[in-house]
Amino acid sequence: MGLRGQRAVTISSGQAVRFLVTLIGGSSVAFPAQWVRGIVMPASAGPNGLVTWAGVEYERTDLSARLKVVSKGVSSDTRLILYGNDERSRSFAVDKVVGLLDVEGALIHPLPPQFRGKERERLLGFFVGASFVALIANPLWVLELPLRAQTLEMFAIRFAESKAGESDSRLHVPMVGVDEAMSMSTSPVS
Amino acid sequence: MLRSQLRRHPHTTASGAAHARVQNMVVFSVAGKRLAARTEEIGGVLPWPGTTAVPSDTPLVTSLVRHEESCLPVFDLAAKFNRTVREEESLCLIVKHVDGPLAICIDSQVPSLHVVPRSGVQYQSGLDPDIAGSCVAGDEQLPLINLATLGVASQRQA
Repeated sequence: MGLRGQRAVTISSGQAVRFLVTLIGGSSVAFPAQWVRGIVMPASAGPNGLVTWAGVEYERTDLSARLKVVSKGVSSDTRLILYGNDERSRSFAVDKVVGLLDVEGALIHPLPPQFRGKERERLLGFFVGASFVALIANPLWVLELPLRAQTLEMFAIRFAESKAGESDSRLHVPMVGVDEAMSMSTSPVS
Repeated sequence: MLRSQLRRHPHTTASGAAHARVQNMVVFSVAGKRLAARTEEIGGVLPWPGTTAVPSDTPLVTSLVRHEESCLPVFDLAAKFNRTVREEESLCLIVKHVDGPLAICIDSQVPSLHVVPRSGVQYQSGLDPDIAGSCVAGDEQLPLINLATLGVASQRQA
């Protein structure tokens, strides 16, 4: 499986963030894809919830409970996302993996200021697709790391630096339901 | 040019004075509760587009609605009055909120415009900072809601 669903919303400004889009409960939740280390079946977890993959241990975190989203429960679409950086790694369940999307920075909206609570720590903002609105999870919050401003800037990529197939060898994402994501008004990643 | 401006000036002043004696109000209902709001606090009325839930700790602000190329936060005014609005039969009231545009789900009955004499508007500070007072629009005495600061003052108090 490759990254056939990968699209840029627009490429005019030349910068974007690559997201792994998932479904948790009824919500589309997007994670900056740079820290996605793998996607495995729930059966890959040990009895203590720990996933060991490529020599790295991924401690389980109940992300749906932390996000305060009611998960649909384990199904054939459920996957464990292995997420981490140099400092910390975690695994968490999602109800479905939608696919990868490159979203131009200008199309990423911060959470409106009327949201004043702790959700501002959990969510960096959102982007709008043709048929869905994806909430962007704060990757530092996901990994329970100290929060900082301008988090998404760490994940900005330039299209000019992105070569076709580059990510394909690094991360293979099941393209379940990716048609929906592909229906965004897009042009292919160059 | 100057003369014509001078001639127009008294007319404008008279018009302004007339404006000062009345207040334009919009009357709408949320889950059957009738409310009035100042016209200048309203940006428009649209069909209700359906919401995207946001796992939020902010009271009464728990979803987004699509609007043009982006989304607006939704203030659940029905929940504030312990009511439930039927979203499938409703309209979206766009509010010019101090923190940016805000959406409110209102009943499908199209809001009506009223020119209310100033004497028909009673401003009073009660327990609820979102309610500015009351006004008489048509034959009804209605609560006057502060749409532009909805949720701001009440959250400060909490």
